[in-house]
Amino acid sequence: MSNLLTTLVAVLFFPGLSFILTYALWCQWVSRKAAARLQNRQGPLHTGWQGILQPLADFVKLLVNEDITPAAADKPVFNYSPIAVFAIPLAATFLIPIQSLTNLRGWEPIASFEGDLIIVLFLMSVVILAVFLGGWSSGNVFGAVGATRAALMMLAYEIPLSLVVVGPAILAGSLQISEIVDWQVASVNAFLRAPDIQGLAVAAVLFIGVVIYLICLLAELELRPFDISEAETEIVHGWQVEYSGKKLALLNAGHDVKMVLAAALMTSLFLGGPAGPILPPFAWFILKTTFCVLVLTNLSVLFARFRIDQMVAGAWKYLVPLAVLQVMAVVALSGVI
Amino acid sequence: MSILTWARTHSPWLIHFNAGACNACDIEVVAILTPRFDVERFGALLKGSPRHADVMVVSGSVSRKIRDRLKRIYEQMPDPKFVVAVGSCAISGGVFQDCYNVMEGVDKIIPVDAYIPGCPPKPEAILDGVVKLLMSAGY
Repeated sequence: MSNLLTTLVAVLFFPGLSFILTYALWCQWVSRKAAARLQNRQGPLHTGWQGILQPLADFVKLLVNEDITPAAADKPVFNYSPIAVFAIPLAATFLIPIQSLTNLRGWEPIASFEGDLIIVLFLMSVVILAVFLGGWSSGNVFGAVGATRAALMMLAYEIPLSLVVVGPAILAGSLQISEIVDWQVASVNAFLRAPDIQGLAVAAVLFIGVVIYLICLLAELELRPFDISEAETEIVHGWQVEYSGKKLALLNAGHDVKMVLAAALMTSLFLGGPAGPILPPFAWFILKTTFCVLVLTNLSVLFARFRIDQMVAGAWKYLVPLAVLQVMAVVALSGVI
Repeated sequence: MSILTWARTHSPWLIHFNAGACNACDIEVVAILTPRFDVERFGALLKGSPRHADVMVVSGSVSRKIRDRLKRIYEQMPDPKFVVAVGSCAISGGVFQDCYNVMEGVDKIIPVDAYIPGCPPKPEAILDGVVKLLMSAGY
């Protein structure tokens, strides 16, 4: 009975639905505020303390605004794809270790099994399918162009992303996210006790992985250098062009949840997950994922948009070979062969 | 103040429509996004699609050619929606008032909620107009 209760609390409140949604709004505020400060602006200022309630105000406003379905749209697909864009990344966050409810120092995820890393990667790619269907069904030319661009971008970044994620999995000898976290904690502790050249080499190889992973994330989240599929100034928000009201609210919330998922996956695979000294795991999770969001924001403020052909060619010419090299180096270091 | 009014007045997303302006008002409208004036302080963002926007910022004396397009873009915006007429041309036709091809003001075509005079108005004036509109809506 108490087990069922714990599971319900974990799924609905902490670290499940409510926590992830609140945290997604927090990440949007951090991202907007950091981008504004980097551009020498103030950013949201008058909505709550330092504009911290701005994402909530946007979300509530969009929820109650008029919800328009264009006459030319393919109605069922157009209406259901925002739900998929929102729900799929939310489901994937349940597989990320954040905090155990029964043990203050523990961090087992809500659902965990051998191979859940593959499931997370799969869910991250399925979102693009929902994006494509949503844009294509909107009956708008800009929507169709944005949708095809989103699908084309996926062909470029999905392969280096998946290859790079294999690196920590090979080293940990497991495809389970919580075991990869455990391996990182164990190897960092071992390194601190007795520093050796092997540990430094592993860290250097994984750092290449982090860089490739960050570049792929910018494309996955449609942030500035790779916001080709929404490109406000040329194809007016691309695949989202016809969405309004609560569908747009779901799309925006889905984008924020995807950002949380991406930062959480980066934390779990490369930054030691929610482990850390003194503070409980969820506090370290928040610190580390907020750091990832800040890095992503900084990169997206820094660059101007690439063309779609430059992005796809660059990914295949440089990112894929680099990712393959990284996997080969990881295999050599781990001594699997 | 209800939470709906709070949310609506704290998150006015703008769309900019040029109804035959000479570009002076448009440059001043874009200037309110810059670090010096930064309209995002009030939660406003400039959006490309009328489906995402709540406030339409119209500049220019509406020509007969653009009349139907203006009306159509206005109808594409989701309710509740507001219109701000920026500059003398958008208010009354300005120096083009008696031209054969000019509609003499945005309010001949669509309902206007705030008028910001000037040729062109300063960015401060546009920001002041937007904030006054939000105040009247219950900010």
